[in-house]
Formats: sequence, structure tokens, C-alpha cells
Amino acid sequence: MDFQWDAEQQAFRSTVCNFLAKHLPPDWERQALGPGSTHQSAFSKMFCGALAREGLLVPHWPTRWGGRDADPWAAFILAEEMWAVGEPRGGQYMNVNWIGPTLMRCATPEQQERYIPPMARGETIWCQGFSEPEAGSDLASLRTRADECGSSYRIHGQKIWTSYAGDADTCFLLARTSGGRQGISIFLVPMSTPGITIREIPSVIGEGDLHEVFFDDVEVPASAMLGAEGKGWEVVRTALSLERVGIPRFALASRVLKRAVGVLRKAERFAHGAIEQAARAQAACEAARLYSYNIVDQRKHGVATGPEASAARFATVVAERLVAEFVVEHVPEALAGGDPLMLAHHQRAIVAGIASGAAEIQLNLIATDLLHLPREPR
Amino acid sequence: MNLQLTSDQQSLAAAVDKLATQFESKPAQFHGFALLGDDLERELDAGQYFDIAAVPELGPVSAAIAVERLARLPFTSEFALSMLVRPHLSAELPRPLAVVESGRPGRFVTIARTLIVIDGDNMGIAHPTPNESEAVESLYAYPMGRLKGEPEVMPLSCDAAANVRTWLRVALAAEVSGLLEACVASAVEHLTLRKQFGRPLGTFQALRHRMAECAVLAGGVRWLALKAAWTGNAGDAALAALHAQESATRVTYEVHQMLGAMGMTLEHSLHLWTYRLKALQSGLSGRGAQALAVAEHCFGAKAHP
Repeated sequence: MDFQWDAEQQAFRSTVCNFLAKHLPPDWERQALGPGSTHQSAFSKMFCGALAREGLLVPHWPTRWGGRDADPWAAFILAEEMWAVGEPRGGQYMNVNWIGPTLMRCATPEQQERYIPPMARGETIWCQGFSEPEAGSDLASLRTRADECGSSYRIHGQKIWTSYAGDADTCFLLARTSGGRQGISIFLVPMSTPGITIREIPSVIGEGDLHEVFFDDVEVPASAMLGAEGKGWEVVRTALSLERVGIPRFALASRVLKRAVGVLRKAERFAHGAIEQAARAQAACEAARLYSYNIVDQRKHGVATGPEASAARFATVVAERLVAEFVVEHVPEALAGGDPLMLAHHQRAIVAGIASGAAEIQLNLIATDLLHLPREPR
Repeated sequence: MNLQLTSDQQSLAAAVDKLATQFESKPAQFHGFALLGDDLERELDAGQYFDIAAVPELGPVSAAIAVERLARLPFTSEFALSMLVRPHLSAELPRPLAVVESGRPGRFVTIARTLIVIDGDNMGIAHPTPNESEAVESLYAYPMGRLKGEPEVMPLSCDAAANVRTWLRVALAAEVSGLLEACVASAVEHLTLRKQFGRPLGTFQALRHRMAECAVLAGGVRWLALKAAWTGNAGDAALAALHAQESATRVTYEVHQMLGAMGMTLEHSLHLWTYRLKALQSGLSGRGAQALAVAEHCFGAKAHP
């Protein structure tokens, strides 16, 4: 057991930090608001393009697809530094974390050639068509239909809470080709396909983040299906397990906490109540960090990741909440024209327990798969 | 960064687990508070486990792993301070060790041959005679005692005291980690076997979620304790001790709720772990003091112990 970064890892982190210092504009923190906004999406294409040219967008991908076969630590160090400054990759973090790797595993050669190179160049934005009005945490009950019609499928239905949909080029869509979990299939659908309507849902979490997406008799060729018909559930479960520790939220939370403490110390307001709350939040951030590091290390060593990923995710949710509550209580001006990074953190933190699967689902997984408690009756 | 156990650490963990096997069950006739493991103590001594931190291939992380695993047992003995703190004083110091804080009763005080005496910022070492301490009745599931005489205390320098305080925090976190795991395992067993409303209690989401949260807390304490043992850093130790005492407060409440009246009996083992945790909750002046230490070492703000 060794908690120290090796020379290669330290050098890689320095490279990423140097890149950020060079490529983030001086007013970046003000721009970091609204991660799904059109402005942010456009910036992310420029930024990710530059990352790609420096070999920093997909270092953990195989060389065949523009990476350099770096181990999972490289991807996580990269994600930590990106998230700590407010995630300038925007929605493209999904491409890097799970959409690209899923396509490498499950897509046809034609699909791979069409979709992976633009991801590796940082040119494309995807959205995930998962949640529906009647299928949130109970994702397997989704109703969007894909009816086979000769050599194509016709898609009818509605997705909701879809991040980045407004500027996405392609949707990673879950649709039902028959009943039950075995009836869920995945389609890779260009968002310019006729019949798709997008409506933004204004929200407290920033401009352009939430959308409804309507599929009204959207025709896609059979070649748009990812993997075998009816096998989408297994694919998406694996993808979501990658996503559980794919976002190092504790990195931004720790940075914001330190900044908030700095504000209080400067104003000579870092007194007892605040000290205890800040310390608790810092401990929670560090616990979440180590939980996540353990998962990354397991991946590096080829150890199958089990319910510990859900524990890591829940620990992160707790840390996010403690930091956000600390800021609201002790640096309230953050939400009223104050520090834009603290505001950006708040807007991300309040969805930490909702996005990528509700925290309560993680608790269920921990109860069943880690503690081996008997299952709930269904 | 490599969070897998080395082969030496794996072997050590396996050896501790093997040694622990014979101490995993509370004797059926024991209905008391402090289940002292004299045989456990002898086995640990014979196997030179108290000195593992000084073995280069093992080090303090292995000692923390051993402490965590031994703390899961219903039997107890003084191993945490010996394994993790004594190497930072002197390996020649006679053991067992105990801490006396502000003159209050402490764990293992009556059997300790070396005392760490803490009074505010001051810290010193004493070697009491048997006549200088006395046992006290206690709910805490450790043998508790207090000083009745005034043994000579050799003061530690500020730097030495700060270092010892760091390792006391590591020892506390490592021991709490094992106790939390034991509490969670005990509650899970009860929730799996106990049926109400025609089904196991563990099928009710209201209880499942709370137990899952306890498990996440316990795991977090374990990681923070291991990291603090590896770095020996004052900030890491303060974070570990704070998270340990925070988690102990929450988990002891939750597991007693899960076991209901059964958890209140001396027949069940639960109190052996929860009342050890309660004893450790006030250790090193409790959560408030750990928070001040975090403020000092992690945020650069002056702390007042």
C-alpha cells in the first residue's frame, strides 16, 4: 500500500495543470456557470480540441483510437484537475469516461469509425437519452419505443432531464424493442434526425442543463443499434458503473471549501462553529477521495469493481452536500453576486445525489451487494 | 499510488485473522462490560505483533491493519497504543500503555506500565506503581481506571508531544474503524435473522439505507486511518480522528436502533463495541479538538487544543 504519487503520475498532473494555466481564459470561473449552455458547449469544443492536440483528452484510450494506453490513474488525475476548475470539458467528459469506451467494446467497426475519432479529437457532444417522465430511478420501466420497420426502426417517445441535449450532435438512446429488461436496446441517434424536438427546462442548476427530448416517429437505420437487440440493459449497467466514480466531485468541493475558509479567515469570521463544520466537510471530502482512488486502483490492477463503487459515489454525495451547506451558511454571498466558482459548485452539488442515478439507488446496492442484507420484496 | 496490500501486508492480515479466530465469540456466560482478552494479549506478545510497525516490510500501515482487525473482536486488550504510538516514544517502554487526559478515568490505566499523561497542551510519560491507580466501575467496555497517586511525569518536548498526539489520533482512528465494522456486521446479522411483519427486518428500506450509510462511514474511517498511518502527517491524522469520532456518534445510535431491546442486553455482544466507541468518542478532547487540529493543519488556521 502506497499513498504517494509516483514520478510519472506527478509529472502527468503537472502537465495537466500547466495546460489549464495556459488554456483557461482569465474570466473562466465566470464562464463556468451553465455547463450545458451553448456558450459552454462551443468553448468545450475549442478546449477539448486543444487537449486532444496535446494528447491529454483520452490518454487512457488505446493508441488505435487516439489514446496512449495510459492506466486508469491518468484518466482520473485528468478528471480531478478538470473538475477542480469547473470542468471545462463540459459534456465531453461523458465521451471520455464511458461513451467512447462503451463504443470500443460494443460497437460495429462502422459505428466505431464514425463516432470514436471525432470524440478523440474533442469535436463532438453527446447526450444520454435515459430518463423518461415515468422512468427515472426505475430506468428499466422506460417506455420509448423503437419499432422495427424493414431495415430501419421508428422511434416514438420522450426523454427528460437530458443534459447537454441542446447542443448535442448524437444521443446515446435507450429504447424498448420489446417488453421487460431484455427488451431494451441502445440506438446511436444523430440529433439532427427529423422528428426530434428539444425543449430546455429552466432550472436552478444553470443554463442549458436540463431538457426534454421528444422522438416523434424518428426513423433510424438498423445500423444505428449498438450491440445486439435487447441487450441494452447489460451495456448500460456497465457504463453506469464506470460513471459512478467518473466525476471526482470532491476535487471541486475541496477547492471551494478551502476558498470559503480563506474568505472567512480574511474577514476574521473563521470561528468555532465554522471551524467544526469546515473540518467535517474536509474529512468527508478526503474520505470520498480515498474511496474513489480505491476504485481507480482496483481498475488498474484488474480487480472487478463491486459495490464499493456505490459506496464511493455515496461518500462523494455526502462530501458535496457538506461543502455546499457550509458555503450557504458561512459565505452566503456566494449565491448573490459573490464568487462565481462557489456558485458553480453549488449548482453542481445540489444534483450530486440525483445525477447519474439517485443516491438512494446506491444505498440499495450497498445494502444488497456489500452488506448482503436480504432484498426488498417486489 | 497503489492501494493494494503488499504481499507482506496480506500475510500479516491473514496471520492476525487466524490468531483472532479463537477470540471471535463472546463466552455465553459473560454478561459484563469489559471482556479482557488475557489470552489474546499473550498470543499477540508471543507473536511479537506489538512491534510490527518497526519491521521495515510492514510498517505503521500494517500495524493499523492489525489494530483494525483486532478491534472487531468481542475481547479486547491494549494493542492500539502499543502498536502505533509506542514506536514514536521508545520501543523500550514497558507496555501496556494508557492515556490519562485531564485527570479523568482512562482505558487500561490500572494495568498500564507506561502512561501518557495529557493536560491541555502539556504531555508527559509516567510509569505508575500498582498503588497509584485504581479500577472504576464503568459502562465503557474497556477496563477503566484512574490515577489516585501522583506518579512522576517526565514532560515531552513540544515537538515530541505533537508527534505523539498525531499517532494517538492514528491509533484512535484505526481502532474505531474496526469497532465500526464490528457494529455494522452485528446489526446486519440481526436484520437478516429477525423477522417482523412476516419478513426479515433487513428487507425494509428505512433500515437498509441507514445501514448502508453506516457502512459508508465505516469504510471512510478505514481509508482515512490507513492513509494517516502511511503518511504520519498531522493533518491526515486529525482528519482520520475527526471522521472516526463523527462516525462513531452516528453509528452507535443507528446500530442500537436496529437491534432494539436486544442490543440493550448484556447477553448480546453489541454493547462491547458500541461502548468502546463511546469511550473513544471523547478521546483527545473529542470532535471539537480534532476539528481545531484540522483547521490548523489543513487550513493553516491556529488551533487551540
